[in-house]
Amino acid sequence: MTDPNHAVSEEDLHAYVDGRLDPERRAVMDAYLRTAPEMAGQVADDIAQREELRAALAAPAAEPLPPSLNLARLVEEKLRRRRFPWQAVAAAVVALFVGTACGWFLQARPSLGVDALAQEAGASYAVFAADPRRSVELGADQKDLLTRWISHRLNRPVAPPDLSADGYRLLGGRLVAAPHGAAALFVYENERGVRLIVYVRPMKTPDTTPIEQVDAPNVDGCAWIDHGVGYTVMAEESYGRLLRLSNQVRRQAHASY
Amino acid sequence: MTSALPHIEACIPALRRYAYALLRSRQDADDLVQDTLVRALDNLHRLRAEGGVRPWLFTIMHNLFVSQLRKARARPDHEPFTPESEASAASAGSQEDNFHYRDLVAALHALPVEQRTVLLLVSLEDLSYGEVARVLDIPIGTVMSRLARGRERLRTVSHNRAAVPEPAPNGRPGFLRRVK
Repeated sequence: MTDPNHAVSEEDLHAYVDGRLDPERRAVMDAYLRTAPEMAGQVADDIAQREELRAALAAPAAEPLPPSLNLARLVEEKLRRRRFPWQAVAAAVVALFVGTACGWFLQARPSLGVDALAQEAGASYAVFAADPRRSVELGADQKDLLTRWISHRLNRPVAPPDLSADGYRLLGGRLVAAPHGAAALFVYENERGVRLIVYVRPMKTPDTTPIEQVDAPNVDGCAWIDHGVGYTVMAEESYGRLLRLSNQVRRQAHASY
Repeated sequence: MTSALPHIEACIPALRRYAYALLRSRQDADDLVQDTLVRALDNLHRLRAEGGVRPWLFTIMHNLFVSQLRKARARPDHEPFTPESEASAASAGSQEDNFHYRDLVAALHALPVEQRTVLLLVSLEDLSYGEVARVLDIPIGTVMSRLARGRERLRTVSHNRAAVPEPAPNGRPGFLRRVK
């Protein structure tokens, strides 16, 4: 727009008011405004208004900052906010590591998975083994069907072991719910009416661990893992008897592989 | 990243000025500035060198202001921005003791908020039209039309004042000479 007589745009006028024109453009605008008194009056008003507005609203920028707006303080608060959860997480990680290490070295507990396994077995024992009449879904008379059903649902051959040599007669079995899927529960009873369970479920990792003593509320047991399948034997029996029974179960399971 | 901190610090007075011009309450204004700074510190990694710290901070503040407005409108029974009484507003700065300024500020607040923000960012905070468009996330044409309408409204206020402006003289300095 080098022609001074060319109609100026509204943007030119505002840029003039806001002092955003370069000297050359400004000179053009000055020339134009001299020929357009009405527009010149409007521009003069706008310039005055702009200056008055700035003067009227200038005060807050000149005042000392309150502590709430101290940037260094805000940065420090932010760092503290960020550091805190990190420290908590770090402490938890250290605690977990120390706890696990103690488990390994002091108590020689090889697997956290066995604890979960024993806990589940204990729950099944409390609910089903204690039920005098309907502790099992399929009875010993349907042993073959029970074996097929359990094997199908656990996706591997799982048969109820024979513990008759140790005085335990198979009552039957059922499928039970475990946190990671289906588990098998076999229930036995001896001539004194003592109930024993064998609890079997696939583990997340393909470990093999030695037989170890575990306990659930009101009942003792033994648990171990064979090639990624967890076993628990529970009954109100001495640890020595439980260990013997567990070895029996383990041997029979190996024989069926 | 920490090199942006001095630039942010340098903008705090302007942020306070703009926030107060928007809200007219010292407490609300400083709360808005603090929220803006906290959010800026949380988002330092998003600060782009080419945009500049100042428009970036005004963008954050504008977004916070808009979400406050939205919340306030959702709760019409609750008035979060309690306009200060005339007396305390006047005591905010000796400049506002001037009746003249008070009328002007009152007229500014009578503007729709969309025009007020544009007018303040341009006239008070010296942002370029392009920067204002980015801060408010609107096309530059909208910036210009809002600025034009805002200035027109304030001009009416000026004309209603008792003061009679001098006839426009030649040359820019003369434009500022007024009869009060």
